[in-house]
Amino acid sequence: MVKRKVAALEKVEADLVNLQYKIRRDPRSYAQEFYDQWLAYEAQRQIFISSPSTVSSDDTKKFHDLVDLVAHVASLYPDLAAPFPDHLKELLNQHHATLDTELREKVVGSLVLLRRKDVIDSTSLLTTLFPILITTPSKSLRSLLYTKIISDLRESNSKTTNHRLNKTIQTVLHNLVTSDRTSTKGMWATRITRELWRRQIWTDAKPCDVMKEACLSDNEKVVVGGVRFFLGGDKEREEMEDESSDDDVDMKKIKHQGEINKKSKKRQKAYDKAIFKVKKHERKKQAPHPLNFSALHLIHDPQGFAEKLFQKHLQNTKNKFSLDNKLLVLQLVTRLVGLHKLTIISLYSWFVRYLTPKQLNVTSFLASLAQATHNLVPPDVIEPLMVKIANEFVSEASAPEVAAAGINSIREVAIRQPLCMTETLLQDLVLYQRSKDKGVVMAAKGLQSLYREVYPELLQKKYRGKKATMGLRTGEVKQRKFGEEEEGGIEGIELLEKYKEEQKQKRAEERLENGDAEKKDDEDEDDGFNSDEWEIGSTDSESSAGWIDVSDDEADVPAKKRQRRDSDASQAPNLVDAEEAEADRISKLATTSILTPADLLKLQELRREAKVDRVLGKDSKRKKELIDRHIEDGVTADDIELPGQLGKKLTREERIELANAGKPGRDEHKSTKAIRQSKKEAEGKSTTNKEKARKKNFLMTIGKARSKNKRSLTETKKSLKAHISRSKSGGRNRNGM
Amino acid sequence: MGSSNRKKKEKRKDFQKAKLKVGKAKAAAANFTDTSFKSKSINVNQQTLSSEGIDPVEQFKQNLSLAVNAKADTQRRDALAYLTNQLSANPPNNPVGTSGVLTKVLPLMSDGTATVRTQLLKLFRTLPPAEVGPHVEKILMYIRGGLAHLSKDIRNDTLGVLEWLLDVAGDETVSCPGGWLKTLNSVSSILGWNPSVGSANSSQGWTFTSTVTLGTKKGPEVQARQIQVLAKFLQTGFRPEAPVPYSPRAYWDNIYRLPETPNPFAYLNLFGTPRDEDSEMYPDRISRQRVFDTKWRTAISTGMDGAKKEGGIIGRSAAALDRALKSGLGCGVLGQEV
Repeated sequence: MVKRKVAALEKVEADLVNLQYKIRRDPRSYAQEFYDQWLAYEAQRQIFISSPSTVSSDDTKKFHDLVDLVAHVASLYPDLAAPFPDHLKELLNQHHATLDTELREKVVGSLVLLRRKDVIDSTSLLTTLFPILITTPSKSLRSLLYTKIISDLRESNSKTTNHRLNKTIQTVLHNLVTSDRTSTKGMWATRITRELWRRQIWTDAKPCDVMKEACLSDNEKVVVGGVRFFLGGDKEREEMEDESSDDDVDMKKIKHQGEINKKSKKRQKAYDKAIFKVKKHERKKQAPHPLNFSALHLIHDPQGFAEKLFQKHLQNTKNKFSLDNKLLVLQLVTRLVGLHKLTIISLYSWFVRYLTPKQLNVTSFLASLAQATHNLVPPDVIEPLMVKIANEFVSEASAPEVAAAGINSIREVAIRQPLCMTETLLQDLVLYQRSKDKGVVMAAKGLQSLYREVYPELLQKKYRGKKATMGLRTGEVKQRKFGEEEEGGIEGIELLEKYKEEQKQKRAEERLENGDAEKKDDEDEDDGFNSDEWEIGSTDSESSAGWIDVSDDEADVPAKKRQRRDSDASQAPNLVDAEEAEADRISKLATTSILTPADLLKLQELRREAKVDRVLGKDSKRKKELIDRHIEDGVTADDIELPGQLGKKLTREERIELANAGKPGRDEHKSTKAIRQSKKEAEGKSTTNKEKARKKNFLMTIGKARSKNKRSLTETKKSLKAHISRSKSGGRNRNGM
Repeated sequence: MGSSNRKKKEKRKDFQKAKLKVGKAKAAAANFTDTSFKSKSINVNQQTLSSEGIDPVEQFKQNLSLAVNAKADTQRRDALAYLTNQLSANPPNNPVGTSGVLTKVLPLMSDGTATVRTQLLKLFRTLPPAEVGPHVEKILMYIRGGLAHLSKDIRNDTLGVLEWLLDVAGDETVSCPGGWLKTLNSVSSILGWNPSVGSANSSQGWTFTSTVTLGTKKGPEVQARQIQVLAKFLQTGFRPEAPVPYSPRAYWDNIYRLPETPNPFAYLNLFGTPRDEDSEMYPDRISRQRVFDTKWRTAISTGMDGAKKEGGIIGRSAAALDRALKSGLGCGVLGQEV
């Protein structure tokens, strides 16, 4: 039987796709056809608009297809299809609640398509989608709109930052949060802002302002969204950056594939793409790191913000937030107080209520208290809190974990404000190092060693230790008064100074060895600053030998002069106070000379070295800890709890669990090898040649085995020899040759 | 460093067993099916096929829905035939009313099967003309959709529907909102006489938009028919209105009586969306003439001249169109000679 041929026009459904293809190839010739379809679209639209709720599924389908067609080719006929975007917007605005799901998605997709083809601009697209995102009850539509909005914002910021668009959207979000503080609509503002912050599309102060307003909202969800942003947004951003830098291309593999596989356009394209990606990645690596401020630093008026947050969500007794959310807010407030050194006196008295061991999540409260302390908090405000903690937590009767947590939190506070402690209290606490529990002992010793450094007078003499006692006698260890700030300076400048002196000394010594005749010029007058110094900083230590020969004739004079001065300084006994000497030195280098870029580079290097030295154990443990922890990282509940766990012995079960943590599961009795192999198989990895040989069907190998048995002695010898020579030369493929 | 650790952990996660915890519910399995829903009724998929003893009203309704929803084209056609039978019976048996039938059946105008469409036209012809009048606007929407359809067969069949509509409710057709200009637009667009395509393209050089009919098998007849329908449409539009007979009570009726026509204040467009020029209603002959003269006359006459030159059956129908135009505009109130 002959199959009946289906004429093209009978396949009505497939036609629109075909037509779209033809139109796109030759828009001028198909203008008439497009116009026909435009009329059909108009008619369908009329049908649809006349009764959107009762329209039949057939009509909806037709309309869907026509919208699709027109959206794809609208950019080719700007005159004919001019009202199309407005139609779509109107349709979406008025009927988004009743529209068929598929059609709705198509309309949104078409709008985005028009945006991509530059028929409409981003602002008009986003201002259409955004109100619907906020109002629509449909979850699927919301997620669709959300992704479209985010991707459009990313797209329009991909080449250069589109400041105007960003400003518009940020204003919209800001208004959304501030207009109705009780509604949950602000959630969308926080979600969008957070996402764009994470992707580093928005990095300035405006989004922080939006989040700030969100934090001050009346709606719990919105508040939590805003607070979480400030507490975790920057970390998220860093992680995102790490992640994006991870997905690199294996260039070697792709090159190898290109050699082996058949050449085709597709493969060539993939290859080019990979090369482009690698180059882009490299360029990104070399580009200077974008200077991103953390959100906490970009807040405008942190004092006012922190005060408002505290009054609105914490101090207010009518507030009905859950404890977890309250803790989040508290963390943000205390973080702000610690970071910006703000003064909110009522915050500390508010804490009193929560500092009992029975309070839920008390360690978080303790951590927040520590976070809220800084050197400008009046000691008499914190002192009662310290006493309260000591009374409530630290006693012989309380559980060791509780006592350890108490002492730890006191220590954390005291690190930030050592003046908060009275003598009797400290001496009492230090005595806990005689406790039986290791956690408590460690905590007490930690407190003691802290005070040995910052305020040894408070300790009893026998607990002061050698270093502190000596320091007290020489006046090296000095207790800082309230409000006293460390004198400013450039970190590591003394290292640079020292390094420079060493360099000079080295050069001078070399010259002495060279036996130059111009020793007598030592007494010549010199201003101590000229171009030579500039150069010194920029040369490396190993190149200095070659350097001398060049500058021999004219630049040797000042160098020698300085060398003598240095030797004087080193030989003379150090009579002046150490501190004074330090101050002298700082003023000398930073104020008398201009630091060149080379100098700054060296300075950085020296700083790093010094840090490594410190970490490697030239300094005390506590200092190491302090260096590790950046000042901007807040205190967490773990910091309070974990030291208490120190001396704890694990139970057998816990130890077993720990030991098995990273290992494959062992449900049945199986060898490790078998487990590994099954795991490998599950991951879809290939087998080794050995495994393949082992699995090979017996009947396939038996012929060869038999023939091997029948070989003569010479033949056997020959093959054995061949095997040896082959293995020496790297196998059949001559690997490594 | 931290990131790679995290990644390793993530990878490892796939191979770890879920931990069971005391006091917490067991995690749902990957293939878990939620069976917590409840239903008050059960729909049976297969239902009885025998039509014995079914209420005729029910049967009519069933056929109506079959005509729209059935997958097989023969089934749709048969259902339509049944409906036609019922409607043409004396007295007609129509439990849902003309409007009910129309709303259901109209989308079938662009049905993919030719037999269904011819049957549909037969069904339309059995509808009482007086009851079609109020639905003209809606029917016209579907007609315009059909006229712009990709498939030529569907377009031609839709022309038949337009002809029927002009027969049964000619005045309403040309005077309803969008009925005059939009329909004109669609009909002339089939002929390739539409000026807006040219104007959209004019900036890009020359273009040729007329439909080629020479050599095609059915071409001339089809185009001739299209021209005929256009002529008929124009004739209807330009038909001089019969003078309203004098009635002494007309003045008082106008003031105190409730109007008898549906939607008597349609021209005010109180509740609809604002109309543009195309979708405006042109209720009387003069306004139709005026708007035709300004927008369409040149385009139609150019197309018509071309068709006349083609001769044969097309030429004849073009001449008929010419006559219709002349008579329509000639004795016009505009007071100009054609």
